[in-house]
Amino acid sequence: MPTLVGIFEQPLCVADVSRRLRSRGYNDLQIYSPVPSHEIDSALDEKPSRVRIFTLIGGLAGVTTGYAMTIWMANNWQIMLGGKPFSSIPPYTVIAFELTILFGGLMTALGLFVVGKLPRKKLDPEYQRRFSSEEFGLVVRCRDRDVSEIEALMRDGHATEVEVVEA
Amino acid sequence: MTPPPPAESVAAMIRPTPRPRDSVVNRDILNVMRGAGPGYWLLLLLCIVVVHVAGSIWVLQVYKGLGIAGYAHPIFWGAYIVTFVFWVGIAHAGTLISAILYLFRAKWRNAINRSAEAMTIFAVLTAAQFLGIHVGRIWKSYFILPYPNQRGLWVNFKSPLLWDTFAISTYATISAVFLFIGLIPDLAIARDRARGVRKVLYTALALGWQGTATQWKAHNRSVLHLSGLATPLVLSVHSVVSWDFAMSIVPGWHATIFGPYFVAGAIFSGFAMVLTMMIPVRRIFGLEEYITDYHFENMSRFILLTSLIVGYAYGAEYFVSWYSGVEAEQTSFWSRAFGPYWLSTWIMISCNVIFPQLLWFKKVRTHIPTLFVLSVLVNVGMWFERYVIIITGLSREYDPAVWGIYTPSWAEMGIVAGSFAFFCMFFLIFLKLFPVVAIAEVKEIVIHEKEHPEGDWEHAHTYGEIH
Repeated sequence: MPTLVGIFEQPLCVADVSRRLRSRGYNDLQIYSPVPSHEIDSALDEKPSRVRIFTLIGGLAGVTTGYAMTIWMANNWQIMLGGKPFSSIPPYTVIAFELTILFGGLMTALGLFVVGKLPRKKLDPEYQRRFSSEEFGLVVRCRDRDVSEIEALMRDGHATEVEVVEA
Repeated sequence: MTPPPPAESVAAMIRPTPRPRDSVVNRDILNVMRGAGPGYWLLLLLCIVVVHVAGSIWVLQVYKGLGIAGYAHPIFWGAYIVTFVFWVGIAHAGTLISAILYLFRAKWRNAINRSAEAMTIFAVLTAAQFLGIHVGRIWKSYFILPYPNQRGLWVNFKSPLLWDTFAISTYATISAVFLFIGLIPDLAIARDRARGVRKVLYTALALGWQGTATQWKAHNRSVLHLSGLATPLVLSVHSVVSWDFAMSIVPGWHATIFGPYFVAGAIFSGFAMVLTMMIPVRRIFGLEEYITDYHFENMSRFILLTSLIVGYAYGAEYFVSWYSGVEAEQTSFWSRAFGPYWLSTWIMISCNVIFPQLLWFKKVRTHIPTLFVLSVLVNVGMWFERYVIIITGLSREYDPAVWGIYTPSWAEMGIVAGSFAFFCMFFLIFLKLFPVVAIAEVKEIVIHEKEHPEGDWEHAHTYGEIH
């Protein structure tokens, strides 16, 4: 199966070409980008990232843990302090608030690792050093007979180079 | 008959295609990490020596007891707690710049967010040590954590000191996560260009980052969510620290204004510390192209704004103590300005309220040496602010029979000096190990400007955020 690697200088061009490729039914695409770019973010997948589910679960777990831990511990061995109730919500809100942020933040990091498939031992064979410089890569896996069409499309979309790698 | 082409033109034809050039941003910023002159090593050595001297003083304190600190009845919160609050305050600029300015789409933060985040971590680490130093019996300091124990007792969740434990440890953890997640793409840049031991280090730390569309999308999302979580966190941490004081009934401490007053002071001192550290760093490593006078000017505007808030809070405290009609409050505040600690109070007022007013002038905001001096003065002023609040509060409580005087001992001052060396030591190591400016974020603007050469500045600086 041949693999085409198109090199671009502008995020808009990569996003544009990948959209055109997808509209023609080429779905085995990968983009390598040196910078975050919202054009590229929506080029391959319009749905919002799944990281948000992780943050939500983390935050909810944090607030629940915060109140449950404080209330349970205060009632497990009761010590009267200043005549305040054992299950005293206002002071425990501080703990619940901090744990919401702690668990939410840690789960967000976990979300990045799960969704972004990190950490990984080996880099993709198509990955090049210049993708961490200022160039963008668009990698397409396709059938032999589609190579010329995709190459023409990439060149038309201002690719500075198109490499064909046989795999 | 045409003559054959000259030999050199054939040689030119078979010349290999030139290797693609590396990004200028990569080169400039990675250069900061390369090699270190004797000046750097001397400074690092000095820091390490001072840290060890301070460490030895602490060991002596553990051996002899807290008696070698200057605590004197009724003042049992001294220089250690002052310095703890000071460093927690310093820690506030980093996350403010990374999180709050991120949510406000203030693109100028790109040049300074990395160094400020690193300072946050080091400042929190420095601050956290002072809790251990202050409790004296360090081997019992884990009693503050709610862990199952044979006595069946739990911690007191109604105590502000416990809230503080949760706030500070959450802040340290989330700031570290924030710094690391921001570093991953830059570590991949370093990995692709490093050799030897550094290659191994950056390969491990970059976690196999390749900058694929999925990775960036998840990365953008995580940064957005972490900013959303860290924004209330920044505001809560110093509020919680202020409640350590405000929840008690000591005159001069028991005030509802303490939360916003401390948060504004923290941002004030944090920005000053970023200026104090970054002005020499920019000069030494020639980063003028990335960290411009525009960035310093913006930070000085923040300093001016927070200086006004802090100045207002000083005034409000005096007004409330007079208006309350409570004699203990009035006495406490009178002795703050004219009592035994008058010098500290006036240092605090001049450094935090009077001198920063110079920043109204653009000439001052753009004159880097003056800015540096002002930032150092603000740091001094903010240390004295905490000194004044804590010491004058405790020295003049309700009953004149138990009034007292506290002077920091040599041991305390040694450990306080050690904390500055500790902070600088970590920052110096950071400079040589990690990119001091967020490369990918700066490059985002560079690439965007290539795309829109007509130079729509406003657009360029608000471009490229999360969707």
